[in-house]
Amino acid sequence: MNGEKVLVVGGGAGGLLVSNLLVGDGREVTLVTNNPEHYFQPANLFIAFKGESPESYKRSVESLLDPKVRLILDKLSKLDLGNRTALTERGKRLEYDYVIVAAGARMDYNSLPGMKENFEMFGDYYSSPEAAVKVWNTVSRMKNGKLIIGVPDLIIKCPPAPHKGVFLAAEFFKKEKRDVTVELLYPSPHIYTEAELAKTIESKMKSFSNIEYRTSFLIDSVDKDRKVVIGMNGEEIKYDALVLIPFHKGPEIDVNPAEARDDDGFIKVDKRKLNITSYDDAFAIGDCNNAPTSKTGVAAHLGAFVVWKRINGRNAEYSGRTNCPLITDDEAIFVISDYDHKPVGQRFSRLKRLMEDLFVAMYFPSLRYPRKFEPIFDVYFNATEPNILGEKGW
Amino acid sequence: MGDKKTVDARGMACPGPIAKLTRAYREAKNGDVIEILATDQGFIPDIKAWIESTGNKLIELKQDGGVIRAVIEVTAKK
Ligand SMILES: Cc1cc2nc3c(=O)[nH]c(=O)nc-3n(C[C@H](O)[C@H](O)[C@H](O)COP(=O)(O)OP(=O)(O)OC[C@H]3O[C@@H](n4cnc5c(N)ncnc54)[C@H](O)[C@@H]3O)c2cc1C
Repeated sequence: MNGEKVLVVGGGAGGLLVSNLLVGDGREVTLVTNNPEHYFQPANLFIAFKGESPESYKRSVESLLDPKVRLILDKLSKLDLGNRTALTERGKRLEYDYVIVAAGARMDYNSLPGMKENFEMFGDYYSSPEAAVKVWNTVSRMKNGKLIIGVPDLIIKCPPAPHKGVFLAAEFFKKEKRDVTVELLYPSPHIYTEAELAKTIESKMKSFSNIEYRTSFLIDSVDKDRKVVIGMNGEEIKYDALVLIPFHKGPEIDVNPAEARDDDGFIKVDKRKLNITSYDDAFAIGDCNNAPTSKTGVAAHLGAFVVWKRINGRNAEYSGRTNCPLITDDEAIFVISDYDHKPVGQRFSRLKRLMEDLFVAMYFPSLRYPRKFEPIFDVYFNATEPNILGEKGW
Repeated sequence: MGDKKTVDARGMACPGPIAKLTRAYREAKNGDVIEILATDQGFIPDIKAWIESTGNKLIELKQDGGVIRAVIEVTAKK
């Protein structure tokens, strides 16, 4: 088969899906990934605010891969797009007919003074399950005072995840009858980046007596000794515990040519075809690319299918579709948008919360057996397209 | 005179152009000028609200074809 040698970089949601899909066509697929385990990132919230065990949300990469995929546990350090070669950290040289980079986003703690020390002290629920355990260690022991969840930057995975943390934390403190206030510091002028959804979220926040929030608050730095967050206008807010959402940057891979990456290291792609700009044998999917949409598992999932179809000569395109759940303990909404539609209006409902639980239950099997699960996802995505939900919302 | 930076947030609906502005604003100092290009219609009320609440200066806000162009002067950093 022509173009049979495929190199996939990164064993996360996007990389596992695309590897399993392409190997099923009879191609020779090699996956290079630097973590032998794959964990379900949204579950960091359940670890951080419900004390759940990280083990339930982890699987070995090997168990999620079709055994025909050749797995290399190593970091990819160099990728030469012109010569179709790559080099791993341990010095393995690889050649390919097609490459798909799915290396996710890298968390950066150095763009804000005090963030690194704060991360070491309190952890967060973005970086890893272990960092989320750290959050739980703080939250579960807090008896009173203020927990701040600070969002310094908005180019982040699952944009409603900071809010999810606020709701889950507030619910925990309420249930435990603890005198702790949860405050969200948010940089945009509304409590969510889109004004209509912001109203829905805001009224839900107001129904909690222990949630506070500030909008247009631009975090400049953290002073851990005085326990204050300092805004860019000089304003200071006191905390007892602080969780900061880290900055997101592109993966640590030396890509040649360097122009294939943007200023933040994200890989530049055609936002619909997902090929790395000016190469038709190289793609980047999921959090590592610069497509102007949210960084979500759904983008990685849909991107994997687009690339699989395109490599097979079909004319698939990625619409920019997002589907980010914002959950409370018993209700949810989904932030649904695409390149041509801003997020559609939403109402909190219990049924959507149940749907989210179903997605969680389907997660690992759907990575391993993407062809089997696709009809279910197709039904859902087609029925909930932004132009179908339209003005009426959902 | 400060520096001038252009932020291209065209085609960005979710998260909106304010996400890109936030990144540029972090790097900027008082006196700098940031030009933002966007196509998301929500950006017009959003940038007005952002200016109002952060106390920076809006020098220009224009729509030409489908493209919104906002120019702000950074004045409210400590
Ligand atoms: C708190 C939280 C809640 C979220 N909630 C949701 C949600 O409800 N719904 C949703 O759709 N999305 C959600 N997301 C986002 C979602 O988890 C990510 O968008 C998704 O995992 C992206 O998949 P990916 O394959 O692009 O990257 P990842 O899953 O991050 O995988 C990248 C992989 O590449 C590997 N790697 C990195 N660099 C290299 C290298 N140089 N060489 C080799 N391997 C490398 C990494 O080890 C990793 O295994 C959430 C994220 C967080 C943090």
